[in-house]
Amino acid sequence: MTVARIRTALYEALWGPETGARLLFVHVGLSVLIGVRIVAGSYRQLAGTPGPLFEPVPFLAWLPDMPSAQVFVAIQVIGGVAALAAVLRRHPRAAFAVAWVCYLVLAGLRGSRGKVLHNDLLLLWASAPFLLTPVTVDRHDPVPRRRYGWPLRVSLVIIALIYCFAGYHKLRRSGPSWAYSDNMRYVTLWGPSIGSSGWPGLARWVGEHAWVARSSGVFILGLELTFPVVIFVRGLRVWYALFAVFLHITTWLLLGLDYWAWAITVPLVLIDWIAAYDRLQAWRAGRAASGTIEPAPTAA
Amino acid sequence: MSDTIPTTAGAEGAAAEPDEAPRSARILVAVLFVLLLVPGLIGFDAWPLTGWRLFSKSRGPEVTRWVIEAVDQDGSSRVVSLEELPLRYRHAEWPMSELPGASEAKKTAVCEALLTPVRNILPGTEELVIARDHARLVEGDDGHWTTTHDLEPFHSCNGAHLL
Repeated sequence: MTVARIRTALYEALWGPETGARLLFVHVGLSVLIGVRIVAGSYRQLAGTPGPLFEPVPFLAWLPDMPSAQVFVAIQVIGGVAALAAVLRRHPRAAFAVAWVCYLVLAGLRGSRGKVLHNDLLLLWASAPFLLTPVTVDRHDPVPRRRYGWPLRVSLVIIALIYCFAGYHKLRRSGPSWAYSDNMRYVTLWGPSIGSSGWPGLARWVGEHAWVARSSGVFILGLELTFPVVIFVRGLRVWYALFAVFLHITTWLLLGLDYWAWAITVPLVLIDWIAAYDRLQAWRAGRAASGTIEPAPTAA
Repeated sequence: MSDTIPTTAGAEGAAAEPDEAPRSARILVAVLFVLLLVPGLIGFDAWPLTGWRLFSKSRGPEVTRWVIEAVDQDGSSRVVSLEELPLRYRHAEWPMSELPGASEAKKTAVCEALLTPVRNILPGTEELVIARDHARLVEGDDGHWTTTHDLEPFHSCNGAHLL
């Protein structure tokens, strides 16, 4: 592959075309997800955190204390209303930006207790390109256009890089043995630093069966390091999205960690749900016309 | 739902736009990638900038964790899980882990911040001890694992400063 072809591939990865319908679907989906995280999150319970236990994240370092419950509720109401407005397409760009900032502040406050929390970061980062998403979107325009494509594509690249970084730092700090040593046995046997396993029996079973633990380690590291392949190979996106969902569901079952925002954001962005729906409709129409049963098409 | 959403510019307006990402989008994307790639490659955290070091350190059979131990009037004690305390206290292990090298005042402040909620669930608590728990997983003959604990007291407080 020549340098010119590599440059073209990278350019298309970021600035290539997508349909307006897909852009609209993902933008609304991210707005819903951010709204749910804002409204349903346990934030006001953080009010009253004693000063010695309050360690604000850098961009909130100007705060003297954890805000009061009233402030948390006010941010949740503003953010929730803004997210709803974005879903209903009322001033979508401004509404989305307000919801995103509210979510950033709330997640930042939750992370202002000493531990670096990643639970909300993938959604925040994957949503960031949509802060400048086109406000005028023709959802019935079947032609993929570059002005619709870049938020989706940049979001996908960000997601792929995040997973790759997670794998890269495993290699950097622990080496390849992170995957095939007894590391995963001990991860499951020790359990989470905070909270508890969603299914303690499964966590214990994995820990007591070395081959299961090692297989899961190889799966996780392999998935993370190879994730950038989805940037260039569209046909693998569904599989990587499903693997990511599987990873985060099993993470919750084994360690009780809340990575639901990751598990929903990844398939939302990676899978072209509009095209999948259209293919399903076409398959149904074809089946109805022919009166035969054919295998359902897969999404891509 | 209308064909063009929203209708501020209308379908004609959409069609008239150049079919490329605007300059503002290119600037935003450049900024985002710098903010994502620099901490991602170096591996530092300044939330929401992060190195994405999720479970990156291999775990073994031995772990040292910071715990709190409640001591009542007759001298008996028990380790209090931070999970028993309200949400705002559950990450206290991280502030505790930063106490070595901190001033006595800081150690006492963190200790007393935890003493109050512990007394709410264990009213007889006379003293709170911040300790390092050198825990070890041991595999039994039957294949099941048990955990041994070795507590190393680090700092204690009895609430004298709270009175």
